[in-house]
Order: sequence, then C-alpha cells, then structure tokens
Amino acid sequence: MENFEPVIVAFCCHYCAYTAADMAGTQRLTYPSNVKIIRVPCSCKVDALHLVKAFEKGADGVYVAGCLKGDCHFNNGNDRAASRVAYVKKYLEELGIESERLAMFRMSAGMGFQFAQTAKDMTEKIRELGPSPINVAKAQLKGEAA
Amino acid sequence: MQNTNRLQSSNKVLVIGGGLGGIRTALDLAEAEKDVILVDKAPAIGGLMTQLDRTFPTNNCDLCTLAPHLSEGSRQKHIELLSLTSVTDVKGEKGNFTVSLKTAPRYINLDKCTACGACYKAFPECVTFTPGLDHRAPTCMRYPQSTPQAYAVDLAKCSDVEALMKVCPTGAIVPDDLGRNQEVKCGAIVFSPGAALFDPSHLDYLAYATNPDVVTALEYERILSASGPTMGKLTRPSNGEQPKKIAWIQCIGSRGLQKGSGEYCSSACCMFALKEAMVTRERFGDDIETTIFYMDMRTFGKDYELYLQRAVNEFGVRLVHSRPHSILQPEGETKLKLSYTNDGSTQQHDEDFDMVVLSTGFKVADDVKVLAGKMGIDLHSDGFPKTEGFNAHATSVPGIYVCGTFEAPKDIPETMVQASAAACLASGDVASVKVEEDTEDLFPAEREVTGEEPKVGVFICDCGENIGSTVNVETLVEDALKLSNVAVAKAVGHGCSRESMAIIKSAIEEEGINRVVIGGCSPRTHQEKFQDLLKSAGLNKYLLEIANIREQATWVHSGDPAKATAKACELIRMATAAAVKAQPLADYTLPMNKDVLVVGGGVTGMTTALELADKGSKVYLAEKTKELGGVANKLKKTLEGANVQEFVADLVAKTKAHENIEVITSALIVDHIGMPGMFKTGMQVGRQMFYRQIEHGVTIMATGAKPNRPKAYMLDECDKVVTQIEIQNLIEEQPDVVKGWDNVVMIQCVGSRIPDNPNCSRICCQNAVKNSLRILELNPNARIFVLYRDMRTYGRQEEYYRKARAKGVMFVRYDLDNTPQVDAVDGLVDVTYHDPILGMKVTVSADCLCLSTGLIADHDSNEELAMTFKLPRTVDGYFLEDHVKLRPVDLPVPGFFVAGTAHSPKTIRESVTQARAAASRAQTMLARDVINLGARVARVDKKKCATCLVCVRACPFDIPFINADRYSEIDPAKCHGCGACVSECPAKAIQLMEFEDDRILAKLEELFEKVEA
Repeated sequence: MENFEPVIVAFCCHYCAYTAADMAGTQRLTYPSNVKIIRVPCSCKVDALHLVKAFEKGADGVYVAGCLKGDCHFNNGNDRAASRVAYVKKYLEELGIESERLAMFRMSAGMGFQFAQTAKDMTEKIRELGPSPINVAKAQLKGEAA
Repeated sequence: MQNTNRLQSSNKVLVIGGGLGGIRTALDLAEAEKDVILVDKAPAIGGLMTQLDRTFPTNNCDLCTLAPHLSEGSRQKHIELLSLTSVTDVKGEKGNFTVSLKTAPRYINLDKCTACGACYKAFPECVTFTPGLDHRAPTCMRYPQSTPQAYAVDLAKCSDVEALMKVCPTGAIVPDDLGRNQEVKCGAIVFSPGAALFDPSHLDYLAYATNPDVVTALEYERILSASGPTMGKLTRPSNGEQPKKIAWIQCIGSRGLQKGSGEYCSSACCMFALKEAMVTRERFGDDIETTIFYMDMRTFGKDYELYLQRAVNEFGVRLVHSRPHSILQPEGETKLKLSYTNDGSTQQHDEDFDMVVLSTGFKVADDVKVLAGKMGIDLHSDGFPKTEGFNAHATSVPGIYVCGTFEAPKDIPETMVQASAAACLASGDVASVKVEEDTEDLFPAEREVTGEEPKVGVFICDCGENIGSTVNVETLVEDALKLSNVAVAKAVGHGCSRESMAIIKSAIEEEGINRVVIGGCSPRTHQEKFQDLLKSAGLNKYLLEIANIREQATWVHSGDPAKATAKACELIRMATAAAVKAQPLADYTLPMNKDVLVVGGGVTGMTTALELADKGSKVYLAEKTKELGGVANKLKKTLEGANVQEFVADLVAKTKAHENIEVITSALIVDHIGMPGMFKTGMQVGRQMFYRQIEHGVTIMATGAKPNRPKAYMLDECDKVVTQIEIQNLIEEQPDVVKGWDNVVMIQCVGSRIPDNPNCSRICCQNAVKNSLRILELNPNARIFVLYRDMRTYGRQEEYYRKARAKGVMFVRYDLDNTPQVDAVDGLVDVTYHDPILGMKVTVSADCLCLSTGLIADHDSNEELAMTFKLPRTVDGYFLEDHVKLRPVDLPVPGFFVAGTAHSPKTIRESVTQARAAASRAQTMLARDVINLGARVARVDKKKCATCLVCVRACPFDIPFINADRYSEIDPAKCHGCGACVSECPAKAIQLMEFEDDRILAKLEELFEKVEA
C-alpha cells in the first residue's frame, strides 16, 4: 500500500464550509485533491445513511463540515450534525471501521485557510490509517475471485 | 423600456457613464422600479474594469465577477442603454432636466448583429477597438462578455465597404448609419464618467515614451490578461522574452510629484501594484522577481493590510521604500537601470530590471471637465467635483449627483458603495414606475420533461486561464462523453459570456437536452445566471447541476495538473449523476413586509433610517444605549473643517421628528427568526427590559465600531498621554492648555497593524494631520512630531498632509523593529525614536504625547448580534459582506445589509455614503411585492409517514405538524429548507427538494464507480 491515495468525502454546509472552500480557491490555498466536496444546505442534512453509504461505497474517510458553534443558519443544525457524527462513529467501531475515519469540523465562511488545513490534516490522518477495512476486504475478495 | 409616455416623461434618472459605478447605480434604480437611461460613449459598457486582468483583494478574474452584472443590465425592464452616446448639453433643473445626446454611428444594426465575428475575421482593420497597448490589440469587441454584444465598425479604415457588407451573414452592417441626435428629459442625473489615467509620456527620466519595456500598470494588466494583446503571455514588449525582474514605481501622476500630476493620492495604486506583483509571483514563482518602489504603502481598506502581508510574506513581493530617480537604458544594453537611494542612507543604488511598471494615478479627463462645466458643477482646480463635507455625492447643482472615480480617486468596492448611494439620492427625485410582470416576454413556456429519459448536456468552461491553464478542457469533455445519459459535452470557453450562453442554449434546444451540467465556477456566484439560461431555453431552472471545478480543482491544485484533471473529471461525473436525478420544481412566494429594522443609532443608522423613511418605509431604529449619535457624539470637526456636532444634532432632531421612524433606545436584541421579507426580531427594551417583537422585511446593521484603547506607550498611566479624540477635546475646549505646549508628539498605528489587530484603522493618519493643523492654528510655535509607519492620507486628504508638512510638522518614519520609547520625566513625556535621516536616536520632551489608537470592532456586541442574526464576521470582528468587491453592503444572509464602521473603520463622510448605499440596496428589495422563497423545501410523502412526530421535534422552527388526515404536513411557505427533519425521519418519508437523497447518493455512487471497477 505504498501509493495509497485515500478518497475522502467532505459534506460541506453551503453557508460556511462550502464558502470557505471557495475562499481557499480564490486565495489559491492548495490542499490534497483526495478531498471531494458534496454541498448540503446545512450540515444537519447529512443523514447517518449518507455517512455509512459513503464508507460502504469505498470512502477511506468522511467528514462533515458545518458552521462554528452558535453560527448555524438554522439555529442548531451544526450541533445536530455533530451528535449524529458522534453516533455514527460508535456504530463504525462496532462494524470494525476505525472511528477516526469519520469526523466533524466547524468553520466559518471566512476561514479558507482553515478549510485547506482541515483537508490536509484529514488526508494525512487517513493516509496513516491506510485503506478502509471495507476496501481492504473488497480487494481481498477480488483477489480470491481472480 | 418601450412605452412612449415613459420615454417622454421627465420621471427618470439619466446615468452618464457605463462603468462599474454607472451600471450599479442603474441596476439599483431599476430594481427599485425607477426608469433609467444609461449612456456610455464606448461601444460597450463596463468601463475601465473590463480591461483589468484580476482585481484585489480576491485576485479573481474580473470578467467572471462583472459579467453577471452586465447581463443583468441588459435585461432590466427599466433601463434604456445607449452605447456610443455622449452628452452634449444639459439644461433645466432638478425634476426637469433636458439633456442633448449624440449617438455616434456604429454602422452595425444592434438588432441584427449576432457578434459572430465574420466581419472581424475578414476585415480586421476596419473594426474599432480601444484597449491598452493597442498596437497589438487583436479584438474589436473589447471583451468577450460585452454589452451590447455587437461589433462596431470604423468606416474610415475600411477600403471595400461592399465586400464587408457581404461578409455579414445577417446583413447587420449599415454603412449609411448617421448616428442620432436626440433630447431626453429626466428628473435627476447621476454623473459617473470615471477617471482617465495619468499619461507619463512627457517625463523623459521615466523613459515611458522611448522604451517599450516601461509600461503603465494598466498596460501590464492587459499583458497579463488572457483576453489581452498577448493572450496572457507575459513577455517583454522589446524582445518577446519572459522578464526575470520587474519593478513597479508608485505615485506616478499622484501626490503632486511630477509635472502635470494631481496633488491628491490616487488611493488604488498601492493595492493594484501589490496585486499585479502577487499575480506575477503566483503564475511564475521564483522565475520572476517583483519589486515595488513606494513612498507610503497605502493599504487602508478593509482587510487590505492582510493582503499586503500576504504579498510580502507568502508571495515574496519585495518592497523598497524609495522614489527611484530615473530609468535609464545604457547604450547596447537590454536591461533597464533604476537609480535610487534607500532608507537610512544617502548612497545611490543602481539595479537592473527587465521591465518597469509605472503605477499611474487617476485624473479627470478634459472632455469630462467640459461637460461638468456645461452642467454648471463647481470643480476643484484638478477637475474633481466640489462636494459638501458630509455629503460626498451631491454636487453644487441640485439633482446632479456624482459617484465613482470622478467623485475622487477610489477602488472598486468604494465605487460600488458610492454608486448605490448616488442611486439612493437620485431615486428620491423621481417616482416609481410599475411595470406589469410579463415573464412570457423574457422566458418561453417551460417544456414538460417528466417521463423523458434523462438527456444530459455537459458544458465545460475554461474560464480563460483560470481553468484552462491547469487542465485540458477537451480531456474533461472526452471523459464526460463516456458517461451514460450524456447526450452532448462541449467546451464553452467563458461559459458565462453571452456567446457561450447562446451556444449552450441552442445545444439544449437542438439536442432536446433535459438536464444540464456546467463544469465551471462556484454555484454560489453563477447558479442564478445558468438557471436563467435554462429558463430561456425552456427548461425548468432546477434541472441544473454545477460542478465547481475552478474553486475546487484548478485553483487549488494548479501545481499538479494531473490530479486537478482527475478531480475535475470526478466532480463532473458526480454532477452528471446527480443531474440525472433532478426533477423540475416550482418556487414558492410570499407577500413582502416593507418595514425596516435598523440596528444602531449612530450617524450611519440615522442616515439609513431617514433615507428609507423618506421613501415611505416604516423604520424601527434600535439603539442599545440611551442616546442617538454613537461615536460621532465625541467628535468635533472633520479634516475639512465641517462641524460634526451640528451635523449630528440635526440628524438626531430629524430622526426623532420623522413620522415614519420609531426610535427604540436602550434596546437589546435577544432573538430573531424568519426569512427575508418576513423577519421577526425580539428585543428587551428600557430599564425594565420588557420584551417586544418587531416584524420587518429587511434588516440593516449599523452597529458601528468603538474607539480602541490599548495598553501602550503609558496611556492611562501618565496624564500627558492622550488619544486623538482626547487631544481634539483639549483643542476645542481648553485652547489655553494647547497654547502652552512647546513640543507635541503623535504616534501612529497604536493598536493597529500589529499581530493582535492586523488591520489598518484608516482614520488615524488624517486625524493626526487634522489635529496637528488645529494645534498650529492655536499655537503656531508648537513643534509637532508625527511618528508614523506609512502616512495613509488617501484621496484629497493628501492636500492636508502636504499642508501640515509645509507648516513644519515633522513626520518621522518608524517600523515595528524600532518602535519609539516613552518615559515620564519631570511632568513631561520623553519620547525617544530612531531618526532614519540622521541615523541616530532622538529624544523629544513632549508636553503632550498623542496616540492614534483608531477603531476596533465592538467584539462582545458584534459576537452576540452575529449569533442572533447568523451573520459571518471577519477575523477582526467586523461583519463580513457578501462579496468584498461587488456587493460591499449586502451581507451574505439575504435581507441583511451593513453600513458604517460595523463594516470596517471609516470617516463620517464615508459612513454616510455607505448608509445611503445600504438604503439603496434595501430599496431594491422593498420595491418587490412578493418574496421568492425558492424551491428548497421539505416535502412529506404521506404514504410513508408513520406519524411518529420525529420531524415535529427535529424542526428548529416548529413548522411540521400532524394534520387532520394524520400525517405530517410541512408548510412550504414557512419551511427554511435546512433538511433537519429529512435526515432524522426514520421512515425516510421526507425529502428536501434540490437536495433529495437519491441525488446525494448518486454523487457518492458515481465517485466510487471507478474505484470499484
């Protein structure tokens, strides 16, 4: 697994993290291309199902990026998202997937630098963890089938 | 604007000058339902900005940010646009002006020209153009997104007119076009002709006229620009090689330095030189060295100081504090030799450069002075208009308003603010004109697509260099063509240009496309524009997905084209998969509440309140203290000598007396709900803190900033150490004390431009100059020392700075490595500083040490308000506007506007301007009778609903309820569209429109498709 390039899905709130990603773009702050953004109107829109589906489909890491505490456009959607992420993390452990592969981050629309840094940190962390057990298992199955 | 009665009536505003300011004024007026005639003497509107490559502080390409505004301009029902038209005479008075217009012949019928370019290809020599460096300019339309979208012919250059006519496929060329003279009537005039640039040709020591490698900043901009004469290739004009060292020289034609230059500071040049140097470093890295020779680095705007630091620390732009003496090219050499002396030495340095860029300042063009004369506007000797102390827009002629770089030199954000403010004043002079909503005209009937197999059209922009320089768009197109359901995939250049829009539109119509994917920039900025395109092609606007390959791939992975390409392909694949699942949706609407809440009762809040109340809105003005007036209550006089106290007292009296304004003092805002057009804000009022709720349609944040008071230089330890506000009080109230002073020292940037508070407070340099001059009036023998880092007396303030120097005020530069030392000795304050000219330490025993402490954001109060209203703030605590460049008073939350020092530090005059701008922007919303809520609402599938109440509990706004039929119902007019209920519904009975689960899952599946295969 020397050339392991993780695939990381970032669910980003339109009002903060997605705008911060745009800001990172305008400031040309580079971050690993492993991170793919899916825009949501609020971090609370991200279903537990979306998180586990992402892993099932092959994500090595997933994170939800919502607004800073108290800044949610919809009162407390970011807190809901945070507790959902915490809940799914427990569930992942039960499934044998390291819970660090899933994370919740908070940032404001103006934090382009933090967006890039978060993307870097997350990619680094997943790189250290290696491919997701699901992907490892899938690869093995494929190997056996061949 | 077709109706003859409307054309003949004087109930409209004439906007002269179709630059960015004129366009903004016209749009604001039109959105507030006022009729407008916009005239520009150029073949297309857009002004100077269309020639810029990128703009600070975002370093975006201008065309992409400007284009949506321009096309807005052409489609407004209230605007008549007259290009190639100049004003020859103005008669009459406010309410009834008669204006003579002369339209030059274009020799092209605008109704027929499709801008296909056939004429240009066949006869390039007879098509007119005016960009900088025009000896190599290849284009006749000045920029690809031009409005009107048409060519213009220069008949004098054309040898075979008949052959030219035959080339045109639509027969649009009309050689017998004579142009047109006409008279129009109007009630008010907004004069925004923009500024010309200083021509340095006569200054032989700069070698501009003789050496091709010496260019002006605008010419450099054209060289960098992808649509410029070199197609974005940076080469030395003399030999076509890429330069290795480039120098910028500041203040050419400004600050009274050269023969024929203006006495003022041109305000924008420091920033544009930094921008050009940064963009150069960004594109060429260490291959090109960039050096800026400057006098004072004037980065005084909002967050501009951070921009300066980025230029130096991250991009390695070198700054040299010096005025180079001359630019020479010794015989037989190809390089340019710059001679200069640097800080702290008298030794001459010679340094070689490949190119030199002259940062030429603004000036008023001669024809503008002539026209201003015909209007009867009083001008300063340099041609800029004379305006009142607190009223930057009103000229000496009632009913004629000015804005933009003609009012005084300024940058784009300030031009946008002034343009809106001018619209606010002009709109008071004319009545609204209701036009029947007739969307049929604008958009064809929507085509029914339900039941059709998804047929996706993928259109990918290169956005000039922005996307095209990192990835090969054709590769993306090929990849998209491999996807199932994709019927068409195309590269479309600048997708937002009119030409590309037309290509996309016809592709949709001809191929029967029923889903559209745009691979381009952020949906945050361009979604609406492409939605309109879908509507014009007969598709529902929600059948669109945008893959943000610019912000998320090419800009951030420009160093690794392979990865950027792979990611862009993935983003387009994901968008395509999601588009397949998209369904047509209808927008919901609600009636608009036309009342306004203004938060903050300072000068800004009162000005906004009065402007809106005068135009008929009911205004609630909430002030947290017991009194109106804010920080201005502490101020006495402005730099120009206007009396602040009288001004504030007058405002307070008018505000209190206005029948449409309800002033609520001692008001503490505690809660806020609702959406644009129907907000509810709760506050606790008075000593008893009784609760009151106000319903309003828009909110204006005018909460101000507060005077800073850092612990530095013995402030609050020694009674001889005061702030600028306190010294001003001494001057006005205890002149005898001031008369007794021998030495006064002022220290600038105390508590500003330091790591803790990195930005510039903007107002302090002019405060120091103002108070120095006042002290000298009282006490001509006083010796005043101003210790500064950069004197930022921008615009006309420069005159006062010059005056202070002439009167003997000593200005001494210090830097952060060598800050002044302060000691209290024998009832005096000893200030020791390093004198760079003497090269040694000097101690002054001062009777008074005055610290320029500036302003800081009111952190506690702003933080709470930001939480209550869900507004973003900058790192230093000011409210963050929607777009720092083009929407400087609109907050990102719709229905919210910001003005005054709550936005960033500024003078009273600038606050008043911004207050009016906020009023004008609010007017554009208040003119509507309904609010569009969009289509993003939660929808319940009653067959799946188990009536479990989870959604009822999950909703942050208590919208879902169980109806008589025993399933959950969500009122689309009340739903905020967050999706909280959707993600918690255990039966998956709720879907959020636009963000349906299958659309999100389709993205995931598509992303991992390749991985699994």
